[in-house]
Amino acid sequence: MFRKVGIIGVGQSVFGVRGDVTIQELAWEAVKEALEDAGLTQRDIEISIVGSAGTRTYELYPAVPVNEYSGFSEKGPIRVEAACATGSAALAVAYNMVASGFVDVALAIGVEKMNEVDTATSLAVGGRGGNYLWEYHFYGTTFPGYYALYATAHMAKFGTTEEQLALVRVKNQKYAAKNPKAQFQFEVTVDDVLKSRPVAWPLKLYDCSAITDGAAAAVIASEDAIKNLHIDTPVWIEAIGYASDTANITKREDYVGLKATRLAAQMAYKKSHIEPKDVEVAEVHDCFTIAEIMAYEDLGFVEKGKGGKFIEEGQSDIGGKVAVNLSGGLLGKGHPLGATGLAMIYELVKQLREERERGRQAPLKKYIALAHNIGGTGHYGYVTILRR
Amino acid sequence: MGMAERKTERKTIKREGPVIDSIPIIYKHRIPISKTVKYWDGLKEGKIYAVRCKSCGAVYYPPQADCPYCGSSDIEWFELPKEGVLETFTRIYARPQGYEDFEPYIIAIAKVGDVRVMGWLVNVKDERCVKVGDEVTLSTAYIEKHNKYIITFQLKNKQC
Ligand SMILES: CC(C)(COP(=O)(O)OP(=O)(O)OC[C@H]1O[C@@H](n2cnc3c(N)ncnc32)[C@H](O)[C@@H]1OP(=O)(O)O)[C@@H](O)C(=O)NCCC(=O)NCCS
Ligand SMILES: [Zn+2]
Repeated sequence: MFRKVGIIGVGQSVFGVRGDVTIQELAWEAVKEALEDAGLTQRDIEISIVGSAGTRTYELYPAVPVNEYSGFSEKGPIRVEAACATGSAALAVAYNMVASGFVDVALAIGVEKMNEVDTATSLAVGGRGGNYLWEYHFYGTTFPGYYALYATAHMAKFGTTEEQLALVRVKNQKYAAKNPKAQFQFEVTVDDVLKSRPVAWPLKLYDCSAITDGAAAAVIASEDAIKNLHIDTPVWIEAIGYASDTANITKREDYVGLKATRLAAQMAYKKSHIEPKDVEVAEVHDCFTIAEIMAYEDLGFVEKGKGGKFIEEGQSDIGGKVAVNLSGGLLGKGHPLGATGLAMIYELVKQLREERERGRQAPLKKYIALAHNIGGTGHYGYVTILRR
Repeated sequence: MGMAERKTERKTIKREGPVIDSIPIIYKHRIPISKTVKYWDGLKEGKIYAVRCKSCGAVYYPPQADCPYCGSSDIEWFELPKEGVLETFTRIYARPQGYEDFEPYIIAIAKVGDVRVMGWLVNVKDERCVKVGDEVTLSTAYIEKHNKYIITFQLKNKQC
């Protein structure tokens, strides 16, 4: 039988272009805050899980230097990689180690330095995120390009408009503007988005998340350890759902949704006995505007094809059916691959503790939150449900 | 105050400091194609091959020599039709390393027979006039810069 597991400390670095720090220095910013938040020291942590996609930094085996710099040389690390869902995979490993009784207290770290190489290199790395041999090698696929394939199909099938896509960025920038750790701390208009330059038609610059450096961390513990440590504000991990899909995008069933999201969500809802309508605040994987619209549908917040309407009606904003991406999302806050999943957890723990700045705290009654993190173009899916 | 000055300040996190250069590392991989050489040779002749498992009938495109469903490696190669229907497409403006020299190119996925095929949609000026569902014809083309053959699509019944 699995044990109950809670999150007792979270930390996040400032996201953005962080040319001022190395990967280990950046990770420490998040680890330090997470340890302080939990009121623990390295001695209390039994194992560290380090998540980093690690494909853009000069440090090819980043887990070891990160672990040493943070003072965990003898504990772990277990290095985890699941492309853009790496942070969630790190949490899943840490969760399983605590839930299974292997350890009582674990630390999940997610970190990514993406700006040590230029944009063309970054695009060439991201474009290999499917299946190099049959896609990138022949056709020069890019990450924005992969999601653009979904955007084109979604627009053609359901009449989703460029304006509706733009509204996602407008909403997320509204909250990023209030998040002191976000890469882009300003608001934008629909017009700004529509007039931005094309990156992978129909996606434009403001339909895309950026190339970001950042780190995030979470300390998790068993129910017994939480009692022994006298921690009174744990956030419980109700369930983690996970799934995957084909490497080759040509083998997908369709281009209007992500099966990895649907399967991971089904698993998480079933394990936690929580339904989509119970979720009050969510961080969803908005690496591109179309991704957030598909997430509304695939997570069951609204039926397939109605995602564009959902944002238009304000249903994904505070006051709507579910408050989505009050951190600013990947679009506003930035998307450092390995850190992203844990930054979602950081935001939701703060939300559930009602510690957010004015104007971006979700009103809560049931205290139920959901994190949705996708790796690659729907290659990996993680859905984590939290409750206070 | 002029218009430009009234534009609100856009706070972006961009922290720079002194840096040094790493020792560059160059990867150039040798990719084995012995199990799929029929495909690579086919492209040179303008043919696009897929694979069928002789034991269970499963079809594979892109091709693979082993069938994970029934465990057989007894496969047959067959040629795909030269016509298909567009399922989706995008034009790549922000180009990756190795593709910077190409004009923004259109990557498309078409349904061809029972499988989906990726290719470059060529001879299109305005991608906004291309529609999902448009019919395309398939051929192959030599890309000198990469010394490779690729699949190209052309719109069958219209000019864009
Ligand atoms: C879209 C993209 C190619 C743009 O990169 P770029 O052309 O190098 O842009 P630059 O870095 O030169 O930035 C130019 C300006 O646009 C801003 N900018 C860059 N990306 C931005 C984005 N996604 N959204 C908003 N503004 C952005 C920069 O801050 C900069 O602003 P400034 O002129 O005020 O300083 C790049 O952000 C990208 O690849 N994004 C996708 C990342 C991705 O694929 N992630 C998924 C996982 S691999
Ligand atoms: Zn078979």
